[in-house]
Amino acid sequence: MNHSHLSRRGRTGFVAATLLAGAVTATALTAAATGATTAPKTLTGTFLIAKGTSANGVPHGSYFRMVYPGGSVTKGKFFANPNSSATNKTYTLISPGTAGGLRTGKFQPAPTPAFDAKGNSRARSIIIPTSFTGINFGVVTASRDAQTGKKVSAPSINVLNGKLSGDLRAFAANWNNLSFNQGSPKPNGTRPGLTASVTGTYNAKTHVYVLNWTSAIIGGPFNGFTGVWHLTGAFRAGK
Amino acid sequence: MIAGFRPYMTSARLDGYQREIRQIDAGVHDANTSAAAALAPTSGHASASFARRFPDVVDFGTQWAPIDRSMTNMLTTIQANVGNYNAVAALPNFSLFPWFFVIPGAVLLILVGIAVVRPTWWTAVRWALVVLGVGLVLAPVAFQMFTRAPAGEYMVNAFRTIETRSNVQSIQSDFGTIAGGEGAIQLELVPALHAAGFTDTQIATRFPGITALEHNWVGILNDLTPMIGAMSDNVGNYQAVAALPPFPLFPWFFLLPGLLIGGLAFAAAPRRRAALPAPLPVPNRQFSEGGS
Repeated sequence: MNHSHLSRRGRTGFVAATLLAGAVTATALTAAATGATTAPKTLTGTFLIAKGTSANGVPHGSYFRMVYPGGSVTKGKFFANPNSSATNKTYTLISPGTAGGLRTGKFQPAPTPAFDAKGNSRARSIIIPTSFTGINFGVVTASRDAQTGKKVSAPSINVLNGKLSGDLRAFAANWNNLSFNQGSPKPNGTRPGLTASVTGTYNAKTHVYVLNWTSAIIGGPFNGFTGVWHLTGAFRAGK
Repeated sequence: MIAGFRPYMTSARLDGYQREIRQIDAGVHDANTSAAAALAPTSGHASASFARRFPDVVDFGTQWAPIDRSMTNMLTTIQANVGNYNAVAALPNFSLFPWFFVIPGAVLLILVGIAVVRPTWWTAVRWALVVLGVGLVLAPVAFQMFTRAPAGEYMVNAFRTIETRSNVQSIQSDFGTIAGGEGAIQLELVPALHAAGFTDTQIATRFPGITALEHNWVGILNDLTPMIGAMSDNVGNYQAVAALPPFPLFPWFFLLPGLLIGGLAFAAAPRRRAALPAPLPVPNRQFSEGGS
Protein backbone atom coordinates (compact mmCIF):
# COMPACT_ATOMS: atom_id res chain seq x y z
CA MET A 1 0.00 0.00 0.00
CA ASN A 2 2.77 2.30 0.95
CA HIS A 3 4.64 1.34 -2.20
CA SER A 4 1.57 2.07 -4.32
CA HIS A 5 1.18 5.51 -2.69
CA LEU A 6 4.82 6.44 -3.48
CA SER A 7 4.37 5.34 -7.07
CA ARG A 8 1.41 7.65 -7.51
CA ARG A 9 3.40 10.57 -6.11
CA GLY A 10 6.31 9.66 -8.37
CA ARG A 11 4.07 9.60 -11.40
CA THR A 12 2.53 12.93 -10.49
CA GLY A 13 6.01 14.47 -10.04
CA PHE A 14 7.18 13.01 -13.33
CA VAL A 15 4.20 14.48 -15.19
CA ALA A 16 4.73 17.91 -13.57
CA ALA A 17 8.44 17.91 -14.38
CA THR A 18 7.71 16.91 -17.97
CA LEU A 19 5.17 19.71 -18.38
CA LEU A 20 7.61 22.23 -16.88
CA ALA A 21 10.46 21.09 -19.12
CA GLY A 22 8.15 21.30 -22.11
CA ALA A 23 7.13 24.82 -21.23
CA VAL A 24 10.74 25.91 -20.78
CA THR A 25 11.75 24.30 -24.06
CA ALA A 26 8.85 25.92 -25.88
CA THR A 27 9.75 29.34 -24.47
CA ALA A 28 13.40 28.90 -25.45
CA LEU A 29 12.44 27.78 -28.96
CA THR A 30 10.08 30.76 -29.32
CA ALA A 31 12.80 33.14 -28.12
CA ALA A 32 15.31 31.63 -30.51
CA ALA A 33 12.86 31.92 -33.38
CA THR A 34 12.16 35.61 -32.68
CA GLY A 35 15.77 36.49 -31.85
CA ALA A 36 14.78 37.61 -28.34
CA THR A 37 16.89 36.73 -25.33
CA THR A 38 16.12 36.87 -21.66
CA ALA A 39 19.50 37.81 -20.22
CA PRO A 40 21.37 41.01 -21.09
CA LYS A 41 24.72 40.55 -22.77
CA THR A 42 27.65 42.73 -21.81
CA LEU A 43 29.30 44.42 -24.76
CA THR A 44 33.01 44.61 -23.99
CA GLY A 45 35.09 46.46 -26.52
CA THR A 46 35.08 49.90 -28.11
CA PHE A 47 32.07 51.94 -29.03
CA LEU A 48 33.65 53.61 -32.05
CA ILE A 49 32.46 57.18 -32.35
CA ALA A 50 31.11 58.39 -35.66
CA LYS A 51 32.26 61.95 -36.20
CA GLY A 52 29.58 64.57 -35.68
CA THR A 53 28.52 66.55 -38.70
CA SER A 54 25.92 69.16 -39.37
CA ALA A 55 23.77 69.81 -42.41
CA ASN A 56 20.97 72.33 -42.72
CA GLY A 57 21.00 72.90 -38.99
CA VAL A 58 20.51 69.21 -38.25
CA PRO A 59 23.33 67.36 -36.48
CA HIS A 60 24.39 63.88 -37.49
CA GLY A 61 26.76 61.54 -35.74
CA SER A 62 27.97 62.19 -32.21
CA TYR A 63 27.43 65.38 -30.28
CA PHE A 64 27.13 67.02 -26.89
CA ARG A 65 24.72 69.68 -25.65
CA MET A 66 24.34 71.50 -22.39
CA VAL A 67 21.02 72.52 -20.84
CA TYR A 68 20.84 75.61 -18.63
CA PRO A 69 19.63 75.21 -15.03
CA GLY A 70 15.86 75.01 -14.99
CA GLY A 71 15.73 73.95 -18.63
CA SER A 72 14.55 70.74 -20.21
CA VAL A 73 16.41 68.13 -22.24
CA THR A 74 13.94 68.43 -25.09
CA LYS A 75 13.24 72.17 -25.08
CA GLY A 76 16.38 73.72 -23.59
CA LYS A 77 17.42 76.43 -23.03
CA PHE A 78 20.70 75.13 -24.43
CA PHE A 79 24.13 76.69 -24.02
CA ALA A 80 25.39 77.97 -27.36
CA ASN A 81 29.01 77.11 -28.01
CA PRO A 82 30.29 79.75 -30.44
CA ASN A 83 33.16 77.50 -31.44
CA SER A 84 30.90 74.66 -32.55
CA SER A 85 31.25 73.75 -36.19
CA ALA A 86 27.54 72.94 -36.30
CA THR A 87 25.12 75.41 -37.82
CA ASN A 88 23.09 75.20 -34.63
CA LYS A 89 25.69 76.26 -32.06
CA THR A 90 23.90 74.47 -29.24
CA TYR A 91 25.33 71.23 -30.66
CA THR A 92 29.03 70.63 -30.07
CA LEU A 93 30.08 68.00 -32.57
CA ILE A 94 32.39 65.22 -31.43
CA SER A 95 35.21 63.48 -33.29
CA PRO A 96 36.71 60.10 -32.32
CA GLY A 97 39.96 60.08 -30.38
CA THR A 98 43.02 57.91 -30.74
CA ALA A 99 41.23 54.82 -29.36
CA GLY A 100 38.39 55.42 -31.78
CA GLY A 101 35.82 55.90 -29.07
CA LEU A 102 34.58 54.78 -25.68
CA ARG A 103 35.96 51.56 -24.27
CA THR A 104 33.92 49.35 -21.99
CA GLY A 105 35.50 47.22 -19.31
CA LYS A 106 38.53 49.51 -19.30
CA PHE A 107 39.35 53.03 -18.23
CA GLN A 108 40.64 55.75 -20.53
CA PRO A 109 42.12 58.18 -18.02
CA ALA A 110 43.57 61.62 -18.63
CA PRO A 111 47.28 61.91 -19.33
CA THR A 112 49.58 63.65 -16.88
CA PRO A 113 49.24 66.59 -16.82
CA ALA A 114 45.58 66.54 -17.77
CA PHE A 115 45.64 70.13 -19.08
CA ASP A 116 47.98 72.41 -20.96
CA ALA A 117 48.94 75.87 -19.75
CA LYS A 118 45.74 77.40 -21.11
CA GLY A 119 43.39 74.86 -19.56
CA ASN A 120 42.87 72.82 -22.73
CA SER A 121 42.22 69.14 -22.05
CA ARG A 122 45.03 66.84 -23.21
CA ALA A 123 42.86 63.71 -23.08
CA ARG A 124 42.70 62.43 -26.65
CA SER A 125 41.73 58.79 -26.28
CA ILE A 126 37.93 58.88 -26.47
CA ILE A 127 37.41 62.08 -28.46
CA ILE A 128 39.68 64.67 -29.99
CA PRO A 129 39.52 67.67 -27.64
CA THR A 130 37.19 70.19 -29.16
CA SER A 131 36.77 73.90 -28.49
CA PHE A 132 34.10 74.97 -26.07
CA THR A 133 33.98 78.78 -25.81
CA GLY A 134 37.64 78.95 -26.73
CA ILE A 135 39.09 76.19 -24.53
CA ASN A 136 39.26 72.55 -25.67
CA PHE A 137 37.32 69.98 -23.69
CA GLY A 138 38.08 66.28 -23.66
CA VAL A 139 36.44 63.28 -22.03
CA VAL A 140 37.96 60.60 -19.85
CA THR A 141 37.00 57.56 -17.83
CA ALA A 142 39.09 57.11 -14.70
CA SER A 143 38.96 54.68 -11.79
CA ARG A 144 38.67 57.62 -9.40
CA ASP A 145 36.32 60.41 -10.46
CA ALA A 146 38.35 63.63 -10.40
CA GLN A 147 35.45 65.85 -9.38
CA THR A 148 34.01 63.82 -6.52
CA GLY A 149 37.10 61.81 -5.56
CA LYS A 150 35.02 58.62 -5.53
CA LYS A 151 36.24 55.28 -6.87
CA VAL A 152 34.08 54.19 -9.77
CA SER A 153 33.66 51.13 -11.94
CA ALA A 154 34.80 50.94 -15.56
CA PRO A 155 32.19 51.77 -18.19
CA SER A 156 29.86 48.93 -19.00
CA ILE A 157 27.18 48.64 -21.65
CA ASN A 158 24.67 45.81 -21.93
CA VAL A 159 22.36 44.80 -24.72
CA LEU A 160 19.03 43.06 -24.39
CA ASN A 161 16.81 42.55 -27.42
CA GLY A 162 18.62 45.31 -29.28
CA LYS A 163 18.21 47.83 -26.47
CA LEU A 164 21.25 49.25 -24.72
CA SER A 165 21.65 50.07 -21.07
CA GLY A 166 24.72 50.63 -18.97
CA ASP A 167 26.76 52.26 -16.28
CA LEU A 168 28.91 55.20 -17.33
CA ARG A 169 29.56 56.72 -13.91
CA ALA A 170 33.27 57.00 -14.74
CA PHE A 171 32.60 59.32 -17.68
CA ALA A 172 33.88 62.88 -17.14
CA ALA A 173 34.54 66.00 -19.19
CA ASN A 174 37.75 67.95 -18.68
CA TRP A 175 37.76 71.67 -19.49
CA ASN A 176 39.59 74.76 -18.29
CA ASN A 177 41.56 72.92 -15.59
CA LEU A 178 38.31 71.55 -14.21
CA SER A 179 36.70 68.12 -14.25
CA PHE A 180 32.94 67.65 -14.56
CA ASN A 181 31.48 64.21 -13.95
CA GLN A 182 29.17 63.48 -16.84
CA GLY A 183 28.27 59.93 -16.06
CA SER A 184 25.01 58.15 -15.53
CA PRO A 185 24.52 57.21 -12.84
CA LYS A 186 26.66 59.70 -10.92
CA PRO A 187 29.66 58.29 -8.99
CA ASN A 188 27.50 57.73 -5.90
CA GLY A 189 24.98 55.71 -7.89
CA THR A 190 22.23 58.35 -7.93
CA ARG A 191 20.61 60.17 -10.84
CA PRO A 192 20.01 63.72 -9.62
CA GLY A 193 18.21 66.41 -11.57
CA LEU A 194 17.90 65.65 -15.26
CA THR A 195 20.37 62.77 -15.11
CA ALA A 196 18.84 59.93 -17.12
CA SER A 197 19.87 56.32 -17.60
CA VAL A 198 22.01 55.21 -20.49
CA THR A 199 19.72 54.06 -23.29
CA GLY A 200 20.19 53.23 -26.93
CA THR A 201 19.98 50.67 -29.66
CA TYR A 202 22.32 48.08 -31.05
CA ASN A 203 22.08 46.06 -34.23
CA ALA A 204 23.91 42.78 -33.66
CA LYS A 205 24.35 42.23 -37.39
CA THR A 206 25.72 45.61 -38.42
CA HIS A 207 27.14 46.46 -34.96
CA VAL A 208 25.74 49.97 -35.37
CA TYR A 209 24.85 51.51 -32.05
CA VAL A 210 23.29 54.67 -30.67
CA LEU A 211 23.90 55.69 -27.07
CA ASN A 212 22.08 58.48 -25.25
CA TRP A 213 22.27 59.73 -21.72
CA THR A 214 22.06 62.94 -19.75
CA SER A 215 24.02 63.91 -16.69
CA ALA A 216 23.45 66.82 -14.31
CA ILE A 217 26.55 68.80 -13.42
CA ILE A 218 26.91 68.91 -9.66
CA GLY A 219 29.21 71.64 -8.40
CA GLY A 220 31.57 74.07 -10.06
CA PRO A 221 30.87 76.89 -12.50
CA PHE A 222 28.29 74.87 -14.45
CA ASN A 223 26.47 73.60 -11.39
CA GLY A 224 22.84 72.90 -12.31
CA PHE A 225 23.53 72.54 -16.03
CA THR A 226 22.90 69.16 -17.66
CA GLY A 227 25.06 67.51 -20.27
CA VAL A 228 23.24 65.72 -23.09
CA TRP A 229 25.35 63.07 -24.77
CA HIS A 230 24.61 61.36 -28.05
CA LEU A 231 27.18 58.88 -29.30
CA THR A 232 26.73 56.78 -32.38
CA GLY A 233 28.90 54.60 -34.55
CA ALA A 234 29.84 50.93 -34.62
CA PHE A 235 30.73 48.63 -31.77
CA ARG A 236 33.97 46.68 -32.05
CA ALA A 237 34.24 43.76 -29.65
CA GLY A 238 37.54 43.03 -27.92
CA LYS A 239 39.22 43.13 -24.56
CA MET B 1 32.97 79.42 2.74
CA ILE B 2 36.00 81.30 4.06
CA ALA B 3 38.41 78.73 2.60
CA GLY B 4 36.47 78.56 -0.67
CA PHE B 5 36.70 82.31 -1.20
CA ARG B 6 40.34 82.64 -0.10
CA PRO B 7 41.94 82.53 -3.59
CA TYR B 8 39.64 85.29 -4.83
CA MET B 9 39.55 87.65 -1.87
CA THR B 10 42.69 89.61 -2.59
CA SER B 11 42.84 93.13 -3.95
CA ALA B 12 45.18 92.00 -6.74
CA ARG B 13 42.84 89.24 -7.89
CA LEU B 14 39.77 91.46 -7.72
CA ASP B 15 41.62 94.26 -9.55
CA GLY B 16 42.34 91.65 -12.22
CA TYR B 17 38.64 90.84 -12.54
CA GLN B 18 37.78 94.52 -12.83
CA ARG B 19 40.45 94.87 -15.53
CA GLU B 20 38.98 91.90 -17.41
CA ILE B 21 35.49 93.39 -17.24
CA ARG B 22 36.89 96.59 -18.70
CA GLN B 23 38.59 94.55 -21.47
CA ILE B 24 35.29 92.91 -22.38
CA ASP B 25 33.61 96.32 -22.28
CA ALA B 26 36.22 97.82 -24.61
CA GLY B 27 35.91 94.90 -27.02
CA VAL B 28 32.11 95.13 -27.11
CA HIS B 29 32.33 98.90 -27.57
CA ASP B 30 34.84 98.69 -30.44
CA ALA B 31 32.85 95.92 -32.12
CA ASN B 32 29.61 97.88 -32.09
CA THR B 33 31.04 101.31 -32.91
CA SER B 34 34.31 101.63 -34.84
CA ALA B 35 34.28 98.11 -36.31
CA ALA B 36 30.61 98.48 -37.22
CA ALA B 37 31.40 101.76 -38.94
CA ALA B 38 34.36 100.23 -40.76
CA LEU B 39 32.20 97.42 -42.11
CA ALA B 40 29.25 99.65 -42.95
CA PRO B 41 28.24 99.93 -46.56
CA THR B 42 28.89 103.26 -48.20
CA SER B 43 25.19 103.84 -48.63
CA GLY B 44 22.00 102.89 -46.83
CA HIS B 45 21.36 102.31 -43.11
CA ALA B 46 24.71 101.33 -41.69
CA SER B 47 23.45 100.11 -38.31
CA ALA B 48 20.63 98.04 -39.80
CA SER B 49 23.02 96.44 -42.24
CA PHE B 50 25.51 95.63 -39.49
CA ALA B 51 22.73 94.15 -37.33
CA ARG B 52 21.66 91.90 -40.20
CA ARG B 53 25.20 90.67 -40.81
CA PHE B 54 26.25 90.32 -37.21
CA PRO B 55 23.12 89.80 -35.10
CA ASP B 56 25.06 88.02 -32.33
CA VAL B 57 27.53 90.89 -32.04
CA VAL B 58 24.73 93.44 -31.84
CA ASP B 59 22.80 91.29 -29.32
CA PHE B 60 25.90 91.07 -27.20
CA GLY B 61 26.26 94.84 -27.36
CA THR B 62 22.70 95.23 -26.10
CA GLN B 63 22.97 92.61 -23.38
CA TRP B 64 26.41 93.63 -22.21
CA ALA B 65 25.46 96.93 -20.55
CA PRO B 66 23.33 95.39 -17.75
CA ILE B 67 25.81 92.52 -17.35
CA ASP B 68 28.64 95.03 -17.04
CA ARG B 69 26.74 97.01 -14.39
CA SER B 70 25.83 93.89 -12.46
CA MET B 71 29.34 92.38 -12.52
CA THR B 72 31.05 95.68 -11.76
CA ASN B 73 28.74 96.32 -8.81
CA MET B 74 29.30 92.80 -7.53
CA LEU B 75 33.08 93.08 -7.80
CA THR B 76 33.00 96.51 -6.14
CA THR B 77 31.00 95.07 -3.25
CA ILE B 78 33.35 92.12 -2.91
CA GLN B 79 36.38 94.39 -3.11
CA ALA B 80 34.97 96.66 -0.42
CA ASN B 81 34.76 93.64 1.87
CA VAL B 82 38.30 92.32 1.46
CA GLY B 83 39.23 93.82 4.85
CA ASN B 84 36.13 92.37 6.48
CA TYR B 85 36.86 89.00 4.89
CA ASN B 86 40.43 89.09 6.22
CA ALA B 87 39.10 89.89 9.70
CA VAL B 88 36.76 86.91 9.60
CA ALA B 89 39.42 84.67 8.06
CA ALA B 90 41.66 85.50 11.01
CA LEU B 91 39.05 84.10 13.40
CA PRO B 92 39.23 80.41 14.29
CA ASN B 93 37.63 78.13 11.73
CA PHE B 94 33.83 78.24 11.94
CA SER B 95 33.73 74.46 12.19
CA LEU B 96 35.60 74.75 15.50
CA PHE B 97 33.10 77.14 17.06
CA PRO B 98 30.75 74.49 18.48
CA TRP B 99 33.72 72.92 20.26
CA PHE B 100 34.48 76.22 21.95
CA PHE B 101 31.21 75.71 23.81
CA VAL B 102 31.10 71.92 24.01
CA ILE B 103 34.56 71.54 25.52
CA PRO B 104 34.16 74.16 28.31
CA GLY B 105 30.69 72.73 28.99
CA ALA B 106 32.11 69.23 29.30
CA VAL B 107 34.95 70.46 31.53
CA LEU B 108 32.41 72.28 33.70
CA LEU B 109 30.30 69.15 34.10
CA ILE B 110 33.34 67.01 34.93
CA LEU B 111 34.54 69.49 37.54
CA VAL B 112 31.10 69.76 39.14
CA GLY B 113 30.90 65.95 39.09
CA ILE B 114 34.25 65.70 40.85
CA ALA B 115 33.11 68.22 43.45
CA VAL B 116 29.99 66.14 44.15
CA VAL B 117 31.86 62.83 44.40
CA ARG B 118 34.84 64.23 46.30
CA PRO B 119 33.65 67.14 48.42
CA THR B 120 37.10 67.40 49.98
CA TRP B 121 38.52 68.42 46.58
CA TRP B 122 36.23 71.42 46.37
CA THR B 123 39.01 73.96 46.79
CA ALA B 124 40.98 72.59 43.84
CA VAL B 125 37.82 72.23 41.75
CA ARG B 126 36.81 75.79 42.58
CA TRP B 127 40.11 77.17 41.33
CA ALA B 128 39.84 75.08 38.18
CA LEU B 129 36.41 76.59 37.58
CA VAL B 130 37.82 80.06 38.10
CA VAL B 131 40.53 79.29 35.51
CA LEU B 132 37.86 77.98 33.11
CA GLY B 133 35.83 81.16 33.55
CA VAL B 134 38.86 83.38 33.04
CA GLY B 135 39.74 81.39 29.90
CA LEU B 136 36.28 81.97 28.46
CA VAL B 137 36.48 85.68 29.30
CA LEU B 138 39.89 86.00 27.66
CA ALA B 139 39.06 83.97 24.51
CA PRO B 140 37.22 86.75 22.64
CA VAL B 141 39.94 89.18 23.61
CA ALA B 142 42.67 86.82 22.39
CA PHE B 143 40.86 86.27 19.07
CA GLN B 144 40.04 89.99 18.75
CA MET B 145 36.42 89.04 18.36
CA PHE B 146 35.15 92.46 19.42
CA THR B 147 36.59 94.01 16.25
CA ARG B 148 36.57 91.03 13.87
CA ALA B 149 33.05 89.73 14.51
CA PRO B 150 31.31 93.00 13.51
CA ALA B 151 33.44 92.99 10.34
CA GLY B 152 32.12 89.50 9.62
CA GLU B 153 28.58 90.72 10.15
CA TYR B 154 29.17 93.52 7.66
CA MET B 155 30.52 91.06 5.08
CA VAL B 156 27.68 88.59 5.54
CA ASN B 157 25.18 91.39 5.04
CA ALA B 158 27.02 92.71 1.98
CA PHE B 159 26.98 89.24 0.36
CA ARG B 160 23.31 88.65 1.12
CA THR B 161 22.21 89.48 -2.44
CA ILE B 162 25.34 88.07 -4.08
CA GLU B 163 25.65 84.60 -2.59
CA THR B 164 22.24 83.28 -3.59
CA ARG B 165 21.37 80.45 -5.96
CA SER B 166 19.35 82.76 -8.21
CA ASN B 167 22.18 85.28 -8.46
CA VAL B 168 24.70 82.53 -9.22
CA GLN B 169 22.41 81.21 -11.96
CA SER B 170 22.11 84.74 -13.30
CA ILE B 171 25.92 84.97 -13.43
CA GLN B 172 26.05 81.56 -15.16
CA SER B 173 23.59 82.89 -17.73
CA ASP B 174 25.68 86.07 -18.13
CA PHE B 175 28.71 83.87 -18.66
CA GLY B 176 26.87 82.14 -21.51
CA THR B 177 26.04 85.52 -23.03
CA ILE B 178 29.62 86.74 -22.71
CA ALA B 179 31.04 83.51 -24.17
CA GLY B 180 28.60 83.61 -27.07
CA GLY B 181 29.23 87.29 -27.73
CA GLU B 182 32.97 86.98 -27.59
CA GLY B 183 32.73 84.05 -29.96
CA ALA B 184 30.71 86.16 -32.38
CA ILE B 185 33.35 88.89 -32.29
CA GLN B 186 36.22 86.44 -32.68
CA LEU B 187 34.66 84.09 -35.23
CA GLU B 188 32.41 86.40 -37.24
CA LEU B 189 33.46 90.01 -36.88
CA VAL B 190 37.25 89.64 -37.01
CA PRO B 191 37.14 87.38 -40.11
CA ALA B 192 34.83 89.97 -41.71
CA LEU B 193 37.38 92.69 -40.94
CA HIS B 194 40.08 90.54 -42.52
CA ALA B 195 37.87 89.98 -45.53
CA ALA B 196 37.38 93.75 -45.77
CA GLY B 197 41.13 94.14 -46.12
CA PHE B 198 42.23 94.88 -42.56
CA THR B 199 45.50 93.31 -41.48
CA ASP B 200 46.09 92.14 -37.91
CA THR B 201 48.19 95.25 -37.29
CA GLN B 202 45.49 97.54 -38.63
CA ILE B 203 42.85 95.79 -36.53
CA ALA B 204 45.06 96.16 -33.44
CA THR B 205 45.57 99.84 -34.18
CA ARG B 206 42.02 100.80 -35.12
CA PHE B 207 40.14 98.42 -32.79
CA PRO B 208 42.42 97.88 -29.80
CA GLY B 209 39.52 96.78 -27.62
CA ILE B 210 38.75 93.88 -29.94
CA THR B 211 42.39 92.82 -30.16
CA ALA B 212 42.87 92.98 -26.39
CA LEU B 213 39.71 90.92 -25.82
CA GLU B 214 40.83 88.29 -28.34
CA HIS B 215 44.29 88.17 -26.82
CA ASN B 216 43.08 87.87 -23.22
CA TRP B 217 39.93 85.80 -23.69
CA VAL B 218 41.36 82.47 -22.56
CA GLY B 219 42.91 84.18 -19.52
CA ILE B 220 39.53 85.72 -18.73
CA LEU B 221 37.94 82.26 -18.93
CA ASN B 222 40.71 80.81 -16.77
CA ASP B 223 39.97 83.46 -14.12
CA LEU B 224 36.23 83.85 -14.36
CA THR B 225 34.97 80.27 -14.35
CA PRO B 226 36.67 79.13 -11.12
CA MET B 227 35.25 82.19 -9.37
CA ILE B 228 31.75 81.31 -10.57
CA GLY B 229 32.44 77.78 -9.36
CA ALA B 230 33.50 79.01 -5.92
CA MET B 231 30.43 81.23 -5.69
CA SER B 232 28.16 78.36 -6.70
CA ASP B 233 29.79 75.79 -4.42
CA ASN B 234 29.52 78.09 -1.41
CA VAL B 235 25.89 79.18 -1.61
CA GLY B 236 24.93 76.58 0.99
CA ASN B 237 27.90 77.40 3.23
CA TYR B 238 27.11 81.12 3.05
CA GLN B 239 23.49 80.51 3.97
CA ALA B 240 24.59 78.39 6.93
CA VAL B 241 26.87 81.20 8.13
CA ALA B 242 24.18 83.83 7.54
CA ALA B 243 21.77 81.75 9.65
CA LEU B 244 24.10 81.95 12.66
CA PRO B 245 23.32 84.46 15.41
CA PRO B 246 24.55 87.99 14.66
CA PHE B 247 28.34 88.04 14.63
CA PRO B 248 28.68 90.92 17.14
CA LEU B 249 27.09 88.64 19.75
CA PHE B 250 29.83 86.04 19.36
CA PRO B 251 32.25 87.50 21.92
CA TRP B 252 29.44 87.69 24.48
CA PHE B 253 28.78 83.97 24.07
CA PHE B 254 32.20 83.48 25.66
CA LEU B 255 32.31 86.46 27.95
CA LEU B 256 29.02 85.99 29.79
CA PRO B 257 29.40 82.24 30.56
CA GLY B 258 33.00 82.93 31.56
CA LEU B 259 32.00 85.68 33.98
CA LEU B 260 29.20 83.50 35.35
CA ILE B 261 31.33 80.40 35.91
CA GLY B 262 34.38 82.26 37.17
CA GLY B 263 32.34 84.62 39.33
CA LEU B 264 30.25 81.89 40.93
CA ALA B 265 33.28 79.70 41.56
CA PHE B 266 35.15 82.59 43.07
CA ALA B 267 32.21 83.51 45.27
CA ALA B 268 31.75 79.93 46.41
CA ALA B 269 34.72 80.04 48.75
CA PRO B 270 34.30 77.79 51.79
CA ARG B 271 33.01 79.86 54.71
CA ARG B 272 35.36 80.25 57.64
CA ARG B 273 33.96 78.67 60.81
CA ALA B 274 32.68 81.39 63.18
CA ALA B 275 34.34 81.47 66.69
CA LEU B 276 32.44 79.39 69.21
CA PRO B 277 30.56 81.44 71.83
CA ALA B 278 31.98 81.44 75.35
CA PRO B 279 30.47 78.75 77.60
CA LEU B 280 27.59 79.93 79.72
CA PRO B 281 28.35 80.30 83.39
CA VAL B 282 27.20 77.41 85.52
CA PRO B 283 24.38 78.57 87.80
CA ASN B 284 25.10 78.54 91.56
CA ARG B 285 22.83 75.89 92.87
CA GLN B 286 23.34 76.82 96.45
CA PHE B 287 22.24 80.35 95.82
CA SER B 288 19.31 79.41 93.69
CA GLU B 289 18.18 76.69 95.95
CA GLY B 290 18.66 78.89 99.05
CA GLY B 291 17.71 77.27 102.34
CA SER B 292 14.67 78.21 104.32
